[in-house]
Amino acid sequence: MADLPFQPDTRGEFSFPENHKYDAGYGLTEATIDYICDAKGEPDWLRRFRKDALKKFHELPMPYHWAPEGIRDVDFDQIRYYLSHGVPPRKSWDDVPDDVKRTFERLGVPEQERAFLAGVDAQYDSETAYNNMREELSKQGVIFVNSTEGLKEHEDVFRPWFGKVIPVGDNKFSALNHAAFSGGSFIYVPKGVKLKQPLQAYFRINSESMGQFERTLIIADEGAELMYMEGCTAPKFDSATLHSGVVELVALKGAKIQYVTVQNWATNVYNLVIQRGLAMEDAEIRWIDCNLGSKLTMKYPAVVLQGRRARGEVVSISLAHDGQDQDTGARMIHAAPETTSNIVAKSISIGKGRASYRGEVNVLKGMKGCRNNTECDALLISAESRTDTYPAITVNGNSCAVQHEASVSQVDEEMLFYMQQRGLTRAQAMSLAVNGFINDLVNEFPMEYSVELRRLIDLEMEDSIG
Amino acid sequence: MDFPENNDIRLALEQAEAEHRLATATLPDRLCEDWRFGRPHKHAAAMAELAESADNAGTVTVEGADDALCEPDDDARDSVKLMQSIGSDKFLALQLAHFGKGVVLFLERSYKEPITITYETEGTFLPTTQIVAVAGAKARIIERHICRGEKAAILCTRTIMAAEGAELSVELHEEGSGASRAMNITNITADGAAVRHLTTHSNHAWAREETVAEIMGAKGTDVQLYSANRLGAAQVLDQHTRQRHTSGGSTSNLLYKNVVDDKATAVFAGNIYVSPGAHDTDAYQSNRNMMLSEDATIHSLPGLEILADHVRCSHGSASAPMDEEQLFYLLSRGIPRHTAQLLVAEGFLGDVTSRFSPAEQD
Amino acid sequence: MSLIIKDLCARVKDGADILKGINLEIPKGEVHAIMGPNGSGKSTLSKVLCGHPDYEVTGGSAELDGQDLLSMSVDERSRAGLFLAFQHPVEVPGVTNANFLRAALQARMPEGETVDAVAFYKTLRAKMKQLGMDTKFTARAVNEGFSGGEKKRNDILQMLMLEPSYAILDETDSGLDVDALRIVSEGVNAMRAPFRSFMVITHYKRLLDYIRPDVVHVLYQGRIVRTAGFELVDHIEEKGFDFLKD
Repeated sequence: MADLPFQPDTRGEFSFPENHKYDAGYGLTEATIDYICDAKGEPDWLRRFRKDALKKFHELPMPYHWAPEGIRDVDFDQIRYYLSHGVPPRKSWDDVPDDVKRTFERLGVPEQERAFLAGVDAQYDSETAYNNMREELSKQGVIFVNSTEGLKEHEDVFRPWFGKVIPVGDNKFSALNHAAFSGGSFIYVPKGVKLKQPLQAYFRINSESMGQFERTLIIADEGAELMYMEGCTAPKFDSATLHSGVVELVALKGAKIQYVTVQNWATNVYNLVIQRGLAMEDAEIRWIDCNLGSKLTMKYPAVVLQGRRARGEVVSISLAHDGQDQDTGARMIHAAPETTSNIVAKSISIGKGRASYRGEVNVLKGMKGCRNNTECDALLISAESRTDTYPAITVNGNSCAVQHEASVSQVDEEMLFYMQQRGLTRAQAMSLAVNGFINDLVNEFPMEYSVELRRLIDLEMEDSIG
Repeated sequence: MDFPENNDIRLALEQAEAEHRLATATLPDRLCEDWRFGRPHKHAAAMAELAESADNAGTVTVEGADDALCEPDDDARDSVKLMQSIGSDKFLALQLAHFGKGVVLFLERSYKEPITITYETEGTFLPTTQIVAVAGAKARIIERHICRGEKAAILCTRTIMAAEGAELSVELHEEGSGASRAMNITNITADGAAVRHLTTHSNHAWAREETVAEIMGAKGTDVQLYSANRLGAAQVLDQHTRQRHTSGGSTSNLLYKNVVDDKATAVFAGNIYVSPGAHDTDAYQSNRNMMLSEDATIHSLPGLEILADHVRCSHGSASAPMDEEQLFYLLSRGIPRHTAQLLVAEGFLGDVTSRFSPAEQD
Repeated sequence: MSLIIKDLCARVKDGADILKGINLEIPKGEVHAIMGPNGSGKSTLSKVLCGHPDYEVTGGSAELDGQDLLSMSVDERSRAGLFLAFQHPVEVPGVTNANFLRAALQARMPEGETVDAVAFYKTLRAKMKQLGMDTKFTARAVNEGFSGGEKKRNDILQMLMLEPSYAILDETDSGLDVDALRIVSEGVNAMRAPFRSFMVITHYKRLLDYIRPDVVHVLYQGRIVRTAGFELVDHIEEKGFDFLKD
């Protein structure tokens, strides 16, 4: 994998002068953790917690049943595990450092979306550089802070669930995140509060070999509802960077959480994210996921259906072009009776890109009346592209129905010819066809994301077919 | 003319090679992707133990192919050496170490009547089957493996090779004693030929099937893999298949069905591989499970790896209880529940097996 | 001897009430037609009488020749003489028509006796011929891949073979062309006898022109709201069900 040739991606290829007050250096040791804890002024329990996690990280093997080959190229000693400006979270846009603002500008966050950034928790490197909570939110009792502040200021709310959905020893990368995490959002929505506006966050990486281990924990109390949107994009560097976040969702009885991600990392980023939600009785968790960038993405949003009649859904789009390996999928664990889940995954492989679906559906023993439906469709754009499908389905008992359908196809030549005859270029025709392929899923994304998504696909098609 | 000394040397060399292979091949462990959900620490270990100390005692009966029948010779041994397993090279090595029993069929014409092969054992038997169909040959082969007695086990390697224009229909029926074990590693090579393959398993405590189909040659090459199994008690059936398309324009289809009752477990792990350049391939794969009891378990892993263009591929996996509407329909005609369930389950599997029986008469 | 339904109430399991007190008596030898607008509960009535698991009886009773129908299982009701020709006959993959019918007949035999295969096929062929069916159908799976009309015909074939004492025909006319309708109706008429009765559910007069009912009922919002002779059919054919709203 390491020497797989890939076309340099010039879009987003830029970087800014690095100016970090705190830098923990390369590699991860106890000393690194002490450095992080001191820099962040963390309580002792957290320091012990991180060190225990570090031990687990060294003990645990790389994932075996659940991993593409490319993951073996990650060199943990070549990663810097903590960088920070050392500035406390900002409260207003004016306080945001100019170079961060400039970065947002280059990333193409439109002018009108700056207004949107009010109420946005945007992460710059490891620390949250911008954290403005709308007054309206706090009036409703909503807590929306970064992970450091969450554990310091709201320990009683967040600590009981912290590391409960995704335990330290879940796998090597969860242990890594538990040891080195910084940044990310901690959100609590109180009982019965239904947020109309989505909460947003922008993440980016801006240091060579910068490991980013953001940590997000969202708790929706009984009957609460929220949508969280996270858009990622990163500048390009020469050597691979590692992004290994952990996102935990807790939907208590009757709560609804929708978590939307659009990921467009530069093509040297290893994007290994663990996302898992816990849905209690009558609760609903939906992961809406779009993976466009990175060198290797491993991401399988999961829902543990823990309460009766809980519902889980994953809607996923991925696009792999030259040199990219999009290894994405979904996991649904039916741990209570009458739980239902739905997975719809579509992937597009362009050039020498490789898109894989890896899924797990598990109906545990004694869970009656569970239903799962999985559909995954792959579109191959060229003769050199590759697509794989690796589902694993386990069903216990005689009262559950689990169904999986997958198909692989190409854009219909007749259809392209038809559109070209009407005057479209081949790239335009292809772009229309590809947009048509994912159209029903794109509509699941909030408006501003779906517009952006379609634009990105146009660009990809122009680049690959021209 | 054979020189006895040379034969001795050759045998000694073969023996040494087999021993070396046996010593170097490792038993699958829990890290082995191809044994996922297969509990290798329990089942692979038990099977290997039986095979290592095998008496290799069993009977071989062949009917309907006198002109095609050969002994397992050095050529047959060589083709076993080249076989592909799905995570079970250790068992190929074990088979080579015991090589010598079994059947080689060299088919050079069309056979109107089915050819039957029967392996029967009360101990641990390691036969090998090799079926070679030359260009244009046609035959229907029914292979039965019968295990009798508490400790009986069978470990069989099977190669099926069909040349251009050949048409083969091959059935493998595994019949156990309740406590017996069976493992079959089958390699099918179809080069411009049409091969249909059916497996059924009944009454083995544990059975594993590894079937690799190499689908080469251009248009007209067609491989169809079927399986129909009814599992009860605490039986385990662990099935692994590969449909490997190595050149373009060929087709393959797979349909594996299980009725799972009591505390039984069925594992199906299939894979369609379309190699770079094998454009215009059509390949399908379907695993269907009917779950009859609360303690029944299935693991279904239908996989695709597509590296070519203009490919039409799909797979599906569905696991569900018996259809209530179907059951109601039968009940509404006065058929008692137990009989109705039996009929629906038989019908579910009969959909597969009927494709291999000669046209049904009314 | 008759089918007597008293105050029968039923609902979709954990759902809406559909039947809200049905009163109906069908004596042996008679043909009763049940008409009514969509959603009035006609199909529900037929399924409830057969014991379909999607519905639960919430009140009332149903007796078949003095036997409590509602306490019997689905197959017991069938063996007691009740037959339903389904509105949508179910496909049963892999089970051949012949095996299916033999199992159904076998279930009606006294213990220790088996169906005589030769006699069975002889009767089956004769009945199929009567309905204009190709004998190849015997080896095909029940209703699998059949057209709508073929399915309906197959259900009537089962009725001819099982010789029930009470037969419910649930919209048997839908999906049948004119010729098929005539053939199927002739099959039904041939079965009319003093010891047998029919409940014919339909929207249209054209079936009732062939299978002439003795009594006509209108089912509306879960109740029988009109009972009359054949003149009611003409009235509905002309004016529709609007009169029910008054």
